[in-house]
Amino acid sequence: MGNKLGRRRQVVDEKYTKPQGLYNQKEVDTKRLRKLILESKLAPCYPGDEESTCDLEECPICFLYYPSLNRSRCCTKGICTECFLQMKVPNSTRPTPCPFCKTSNYAVEYRGVKTKEEKGIEQIEEQRVIEAKIRMRQKELQDEEERMQKRQDLSSSSRTMGPVEVDHGSVGVLSRRSPADEEEIVSADQLCSTAISRQPPHLGTNRDDEFDMDLEEIMVNEAIWRSIQEKHNKAIARSVAAPSEQYVSEDHYVSQTTAPSAGSASSPSGGLACAIAALAERQQMSGESSFSHNTTMPSYNVLPNYSQFYQTAVQDSDSYVAPESGAELAQGAGIPMASDDGEWNMDRGSEVAEAGTSYASSDSPRDAGGISALPQPNELDAGFQNLPAPIVPESFEEQMMLAMAFSLAEARAVTSGPGTAWQ
Amino acid sequence: MTSSSAASRKALSKIASNRLQKELVEWQVNPPVGFKHKVTDNLQRWVIEVNGAPGTLYANETYQLQVDFPEHYPMEAPQVIFLPPAPLHPHIYSNGHICLDILYDSWSPAMTVSSVCISILSMLSSSTVKQRPEDNDRYVKNCRNGRSPKETRWWFHDDKV
Repeated sequence: MGNKLGRRRQVVDEKYTKPQGLYNQKEVDTKRLRKLILESKLAPCYPGDEESTCDLEECPICFLYYPSLNRSRCCTKGICTECFLQMKVPNSTRPTPCPFCKTSNYAVEYRGVKTKEEKGIEQIEEQRVIEAKIRMRQKELQDEEERMQKRQDLSSSSRTMGPVEVDHGSVGVLSRRSPADEEEIVSADQLCSTAISRQPPHLGTNRDDEFDMDLEEIMVNEAIWRSIQEKHNKAIARSVAAPSEQYVSEDHYVSQTTAPSAGSASSPSGGLACAIAALAERQQMSGESSFSHNTTMPSYNVLPNYSQFYQTAVQDSDSYVAPESGAELAQGAGIPMASDDGEWNMDRGSEVAEAGTSYASSDSPRDAGGISALPQPNELDAGFQNLPAPIVPESFEEQMMLAMAFSLAEARAVTSGPGTAWQ
Repeated sequence: MTSSSAASRKALSKIASNRLQKELVEWQVNPPVGFKHKVTDNLQRWVIEVNGAPGTLYANETYQLQVDFPEHYPMEAPQVIFLPPAPLHPHIYSNGHICLDILYDSWSPAMTVSSVCISILSMLSSSTVKQRPEDNDRYVKNCRNGRSPKETRWWFHDDKV
């Protein structure tokens, strides 16, 4: 896609067209580098930031933060220009493998700052990783509990060894549990803090209360919430300039949702929010079936491999400990065992390339492309595909969430906070 | 951690030490399961306790990994060995050297200490026998002068364990 007509030339300060000295560069063709940066084929060599501030991306090699990164063609992973120059050894005869997915002939392209869709997709992916981590951890703890149970059963049955064994066992449980508990707190905090920072406080506490009920569900809700919120931000931003297709379609979707309960939407100011809340309430009263469906559904869609044991985990363990740490197993499997990832990355790469081709023509088709080219690592993620598309909320929680989203949006549009109407 | 070995290594580059500091912070917030970083003030050498995963041959056993970082980490791989006694494993030599491709030819700067640790634990966990590599004695004899495993020409032949 290098020589496309209409490709915008980047206005880059001259000093960012050469390496900032992150590495002791060996031989860099500075002329060529400058040209590539000015032609927007490589990200400018901005000096990396130590700290993360909003809208900066972390380069996964140097761990510094940049306004924008290059993307590998094979797996769309980001890399800053200076790290990229280290990967590509100029005089080497062997093709450089991608440092992330090991696809040979590593190459990057630059597509400017990430779009909101891309960021949203990433957030959803992060959610998925967290969920997988939690399931791993649950399984681990459950196994351990079973083992401890067995050991204690054994020891209590044999008189002579009894006290010693039990003592040892319980100490073991304690010492293993405590770091796990800490981890739960950490991750809960992280989750809550992001929730609070993006939401009105009452919503934050509300979701906080639910936290004990089902973390899984909260996180799915969070993902839905974010995608809704992001759409709205955009819709609002756009409606200022010109009413876009997306805004219209969203409107349309809302009216469909509210139609069945139109009669009960009494408050003119609270409008949509009220209607949806009313609908939600009605459904809630009509039975728990949709609710329970919702609590179990999302987790199974993500990783069927785990769904089996997760099912047992849900049934057998009501105590829920420590989301965070099973984690690295999932993450680790992705990084060192690159061969497994190969296909996944290539699939994804081609989809992204498609989205990329529409880049030059205009912005709006690109947005559409971004959504339709949602990375689909495999069919396992089917459960998430419909997130960014209009969601038909099934459960009470989701509907409330939606209602809040709309009331928020309305509050922003109309200064006389009608958002309170739903309370 | 003898002074001679520390002196013989070149100090970490700025980028290496910056990245390692961030890796360490991330580790403290979110340590990989089954591992414990032993706190020292030496950023260039980490000693990490490994607990054998439950349900594997190494359950309830604890080993120590020593990770030394080169000047140009992460462009260059860290040197990772088991401190004695090294676990009995078909890919782990009695001098602690580990035959694992990502530590040598297949290293990628996108990997981290944490991901390396997980790969090592995964290698341990998938073992079905507790035994030394066939060429253990020969190899260890060749390494007697304290050669780094990074200077070994590894031949990775077994992708099962």
